[in-house]
Amino acid sequence: MTKATKEFFALFGRTMALSFVPPFRWKDIIKQIDFVGWQSAPIVLFCLCFAAIVTIIEASFHMKIVIQNDSMVPGFSSLLIIRELGAVVTALLVTSRVGAGLAAEVGSMKVTEQIDALKMLGIDPVPFLVVPRFIACVVCGFLLTLIANVTCIGAAMLVSQIKLGYSPASFLVAMRAFVEFQDLWFASIKGLCFWAIIPIVSCYYGFRCQAGAEGVGAATTKSVVTSSIAIIFIDFVLSWVFSHFY
Amino acid sequence: MLNTMTFIITDVGACLMFLKQLFRTAIKYPISSKIISEQILKVTQQSFGTTALAGFFVGAIMTIQFTLQVKEFGALGYLGGLATSGTIREVGPLLIAFMLSGKVGAFTSAELGTMRVTEQIDAIRCLGANPLSEIILPRFIGIIISSFFLLLVGLFMSIFGGLLLGLLFSGISHEEYLRHIPTIVSGWSILSGTVKCFVFAFVLAAICTYKGYSTTGGAKGVGKSVVQTAMATMVVIVLADWFTSFLGDVALTIFMGE
Repeated sequence: MTKATKEFFALFGRTMALSFVPPFRWKDIIKQIDFVGWQSAPIVLFCLCFAAIVTIIEASFHMKIVIQNDSMVPGFSSLLIIRELGAVVTALLVTSRVGAGLAAEVGSMKVTEQIDALKMLGIDPVPFLVVPRFIACVVCGFLLTLIANVTCIGAAMLVSQIKLGYSPASFLVAMRAFVEFQDLWFASIKGLCFWAIIPIVSCYYGFRCQAGAEGVGAATTKSVVTSSIAIIFIDFVLSWVFSHFY
Repeated sequence: MLNTMTFIITDVGACLMFLKQLFRTAIKYPISSKIISEQILKVTQQSFGTTALAGFFVGAIMTIQFTLQVKEFGALGYLGGLATSGTIREVGPLLIAFMLSGKVGAFTSAELGTMRVTEQIDAIRCLGANPLSEIILPRFIGIIISSFFLLLVGLFMSIFGGLLLGLLFSGISHEEYLRHIPTIVSGWSILSGTVKCFVFAFVLAAICTYKGYSTTGGAKGVGKSVVQTAMATMVVIVLADWFTSFLGDVALTIFMGE
């Protein structure tokens, strides 16, 4: 284990532990929830609607090859959306917005020596900067993944009505046969885990930011890439774990 | 709300004007192939590992999900074909383009933005050279060509990941996994995936060079344009994904008469 990995896990552990310790900075948390969740919501939901359309089109393409008709499309595509697409696409979209934003913010604080100033004043930057962002991301991850899944299913319903001619009622009946309630729980847990990694990675790279404009740019890029890979990796692990519950 | 809309529309328009200028430069001025190949090598080397890793896990996830779905119908034989086809046509290009937009897009716009802010671009103009043909165009072409390579690498790795997970998770030997790939993956699917790769790479290159080139306002401006690049590429890639799928569907209806 290299020094960098050790530092990363130390930051992760400290953030997790300090999230449960008062004082809670409610004002900061609310402000971050506004930035992380509320301002990301329109763009995420907008993109997910298009992702749902693509899923329906592709699913009907594949179904026509394998079983010669597309009667299974509503069930399969709603399963795919809830188990995989909703949580992952939401998290990846948010990584680029929130992750890059947080890394740039913390990085420029580091470069302009504001973090050193905090330390001089005897304030620990982890509970002051990282914990509010972490709590906001976890809360928003749970909620926004639920909302995103519901929106995505709604869009899929609309498309299957227009393109394939299945009414919303028959879509819901087909969906009920495939999707169980626990799928929605699993999706939300996935969303929560994905979003929890974003602020940690961004703040980690922000804290290690090198001086100058290049440093901030490099920190932003690294944090987006690392969190995207981490999200895909966590998704793989969680899919594997959850597959034992079916 | 209105302000945001105006901002978005202005930005899209400015990006299109930038592209027009870029194409005009591409026709007028010769670009040395040496600079382009340097760029291709640089971008490919930078993102090779990232893309390969992402591709591997994408393939693995697809196999796990498809296994859970087709197991109920006893159609595990089709698993390899379905997962590969889904990866090639749709999920592979989309997710790998996401990774590239984080890696290549953000890096390029940060680099160009820093050049702009530290007045290196103005310096090139002062020396009598055209910054568009000297800096922007090689990067633009380099990103498109190397994205293409990277997407190919990602797709191969995802097939490999699917194969491995098929063996470990669903208990399907590689022969059975590979057997149904030719029946389900047609030339049409490969063409569709390739077109998607090209469209995503083009969109990525256009946005990141434009955002980097039009950066203003010092170090903070660079950070801002990097964040905007990452956001804009993600959204436009999802939209382009829908659009290409839609066009592919229309083309399929016209040519196959289904």
